[in-house]
Amino acid sequence: MVLILGGFYCVMGILPLFFANTAHIMNILIMILIWAVVASCWDVIMGFAGIFSFGQVAFYVIGAYASAILSVSLDIPPVFAIIMAGVITGVLGVIVGLPCLKLAGPYVALVTFAVHMTLIPFLKGPLGRAIGSGGSQGILTIPPINLLGVAFSSEHLVPFFYLTLFLTIICTLILALIIKSYWGTAFLALKDSENFATSLGISAFKYKLMVFAITSFITGLFGALYAHYVGMLSTKMLSMDVFTILMIMMVIGGIGKYPGVVVGAVVTVTISQLLAPLGMYRPLIMGAMVVILVLFLRDGVIGLAQKISPLQRKFG
Amino acid sequence: MVFEIIDVIISGLINGSVYALMAVGLTLVYGVTKAFNFAYGSFYNMGGYFAWMLLIPLGMIGGYFSVFFAAIPVLFAVGYLLEKVLVSPLRKHDDWEMKVMMLTLGLSLFMDFGYQAVFGPNIKSLPGMIEGTLEIGQVVLFHQDVAIFILSVGGMLCFGWILNNTRTGMAVQAVAQNPAGAQIVGIPKDFIFAATFAISTIMVGLGGILLCQKTFVDPMGSTNIMIKAWVITAFGGMGSISGSLYAAFILGMLEAFVGWHFGMIYVQIATLALLLVILAVRPQGLMGRE
Amino acid sequence: MKTLKFLVASLAIFMFVGPWAFAAETIKIGVPLAMTGAYAGSGDNYWKGIEMATNEINQSGGLLGKQIEIIRFDSQEFAPEIVMQGADYLCGKMKVSSIHAGWAGWGQDIRAYGKYDAPFFCDDGAMPSVDVYKSDPEKYYNTYFITDTGGDQANSMFNMLTALPYEYPNKKIVIINTDDTWGMEVGDTLSKRFKKIGWKVAKRETVPYGTNEWGPILTKVRRINPAIIHIEIPSSQEVITFFRQFIKKPTNSILSYGWSITPLEVLATMGKDADGIVGEMPAGMPAPVAPNPKAQAWVDKYMDIYKHAIPAGSWIAYTGVMAWADAVTAVGDEYNFKAVNKHLKEAGYEGLQGMIKFGENNTWHAQPAAPIVHYQVQNGQLVALYTDPPIKPYKDYKFQVPRWIKK
Repeated sequence: MVLILGGFYCVMGILPLFFANTAHIMNILIMILIWAVVASCWDVIMGFAGIFSFGQVAFYVIGAYASAILSVSLDIPPVFAIIMAGVITGVLGVIVGLPCLKLAGPYVALVTFAVHMTLIPFLKGPLGRAIGSGGSQGILTIPPINLLGVAFSSEHLVPFFYLTLFLTIICTLILALIIKSYWGTAFLALKDSENFATSLGISAFKYKLMVFAITSFITGLFGALYAHYVGMLSTKMLSMDVFTILMIMMVIGGIGKYPGVVVGAVVTVTISQLLAPLGMYRPLIMGAMVVILVLFLRDGVIGLAQKISPLQRKFG
Repeated sequence: MVFEIIDVIISGLINGSVYALMAVGLTLVYGVTKAFNFAYGSFYNMGGYFAWMLLIPLGMIGGYFSVFFAAIPVLFAVGYLLEKVLVSPLRKHDDWEMKVMMLTLGLSLFMDFGYQAVFGPNIKSLPGMIEGTLEIGQVVLFHQDVAIFILSVGGMLCFGWILNNTRTGMAVQAVAQNPAGAQIVGIPKDFIFAATFAISTIMVGLGGILLCQKTFVDPMGSTNIMIKAWVITAFGGMGSISGSLYAAFILGMLEAFVGWHFGMIYVQIATLALLLVILAVRPQGLMGRE
Repeated sequence: MKTLKFLVASLAIFMFVGPWAFAAETIKIGVPLAMTGAYAGSGDNYWKGIEMATNEINQSGGLLGKQIEIIRFDSQEFAPEIVMQGADYLCGKMKVSSIHAGWAGWGQDIRAYGKYDAPFFCDDGAMPSVDVYKSDPEKYYNTYFITDTGGDQANSMFNMLTALPYEYPNKKIVIINTDDTWGMEVGDTLSKRFKKIGWKVAKRETVPYGTNEWGPILTKVRRINPAIIHIEIPSSQEVITFFRQFIKKPTNSILSYGWSITPLEVLATMGKDADGIVGEMPAGMPAPVAPNPKAQAWVDKYMDIYKHAIPAGSWIAYTGVMAWADAVTAVGDEYNFKAVNKHLKEAGYEGLQGMIKFGENNTWHAQPAAPIVHYQVQNGQLVALYTDPPIKPYKDYKFQVPRWIKK
């Protein structure tokens, strides 16, 4: 696991050397990082903790808007706004998580998705506007991050890339730690047989809630990062596009086979970009790919790697 | 004022019958096979496009009767095949339910953009099934809406009766409640799974035809349909036909009244709020088991 | 034999080198439009105008002797990072010499393309976009709005509604609009203007896209019995279902559809049933007869190629490309952005309806050569009643009292 993550960091780390001058590609790389983390959080919740949460995109957007509103309306420096946004999202994650834990599979999905669905009219409507969401126009002038006098934003792509990489490394390592730790084992036990695990004294409730909290925090943090990067936000972020792409990343990478999803992120975005000139046929091909992958590649790329190399059976 | 309220109630009933049509397929397929079909909305559109193809370019005679007649075997076949080829192999995987969701998500992408590639991205209009209006005093109703109401309520009640009062129906219920047990007793579990999926495809396809001729065939609309159906089935209780029927009408009425009194903008929030409240109190939905 | 080998060899070399050589001799323009997703229909309308203009230029010898090559980008649903990616791809990577778009992001696009200098033509029709421009006109100097904002178009709609040769039975108006920038701007403006002349906005209803069941709203409308119902939803399904449900028990109201009359499906689906509805098209080409022979030739050509009436956006997108080509020809170098932009801003362009000039905020405001056209559906077709500014009747087309209004 660490090997894969490490390899990923190194490769990403040197890519800017080649592409620093092509804004377009730097953009894509930064988005890969951001999405890799969001998808990882989703993988941890769904694949690892077994909670069918569909609210990931919602938390991402909440984090983005929270930070944007904090820095635009309250003039809080972006550095703090981002962290605060992460915390706010984490808290919201807990609030959403509480009722979810009583529900079974698709119901959790529905409730978390309901959060996603409610966000759209909320942000566009009078309530949203009251707290500064900009209604359907969105927020157009989000200040860039300013740390120790160095500006990080879409005008300064390379520094921003490294900042994002730095945060990505931290967050993915946190997630890796969770999986490898006692919590990790607890989750595996809960997923395999909830009743038995509970009888052994493992509190499903506490662990699930912690997972909700941490993944929402990280997701919100990265949402906020996105907001300050792109400098503008709108409810268009809540379209099914992002949702679908994140799912595809998980399928390709292998659900529950962290950090496969990180690899999945790279692969998915690359394929998406390569297919872009095909317009309408792109989602068509990606949809077909997903179907085939789910059927034949049981555990995504990691599963494939596991089959090929017996040595890597240690991972996951 | 009274007439206004009657109007709103009628709107609510119309909404309800529409939603019932949308949701019944989903509750059936989930209740029995426990497979969550993300491509549900795309199947709905499949019905719409099928009808369009028959009626417009191919100019089929016999109008909607022929369309329904032709649709039933086609939809059954498609549903059956999809289940056998795509869904049942997944049952052997762990994380089966999640895999099905992901697969059907991919399938829905493929189908939706496939429609766009073949038929073009614009909405398509189907010729009306029944024209004309019915006037009762101050109230004016489309014949179409009345027909949809009768068909949806009647259809669901009929189907519910079949489930409870026939051998086949009982077999399906047995599989729903306890697949392993059902198999022991000699019920062909896999066949029932596939057949149920196929039947639910028929239902959502036919529902799609009925509703698309009332409005439009919209290739980008599948997600909304799926979400609506999902909300209703969850509200009513996954797997319960009568639950879905109640849920459809309750939510239909809610929409009509909230839309009338507060404004259409608040409808979605109100619907979701109600859903959350019900699920908090009764996590299995109105009439769900478990 | 040797000659043959020589010929084959040179043919091979030619085939390898040739395309490269030819490829170098093109002028690239970027066209970011919604090719997939909910906005694809409108994207298509702008595309047709742009394609037609490009083909026309290429067929008559190209621009500065070179062929124009279109580079497309799919803006999908205009998520912020996609809009940004489009700008970086087209301007940064492909180094296009101008960008032609329709709906482009409602503010996000200005910020994205403002980083570059190539002329950027867009048709957001939204105040937020203009606000971004106004926040730094020097930085965003390469932005061109090819039509008015929703607010300004709504002012024109107001002018038309008050100019109709029709006596309103009362002073009540019901306004229904979508919850996005466009709907809100138009709704707010109309509301303000009508209130100012003493009318009552009996109901202001904001609805989400996808509303197909109009029962509750129509119930209220029937109780109010307003003189005007204005519905502003730039998407076909909702306005078609609205009409069908309205007409089963209509009120004596003028149905004003604003921009909502323009999606092609509206007339294609409703045909003559829609007779009586009024609507507008910004920077439009009046129909069914064009204002002058050149314009008529253009209309005929469009209909010949695309086989349907001119939708909103096609003509002005065409004009945008032509105006840019004109500027490039005058300057002599497609990459001299400063000069090209200066020419665009200051010199006008002689379009099919006359001389068009960019006005305040780099916008092609409604002007006699690019008027806002107000139509009524008659016999299943859009018939121009008025052009604005100044608001004046178009040729001898007359307003017809809709059939559902009983005296």
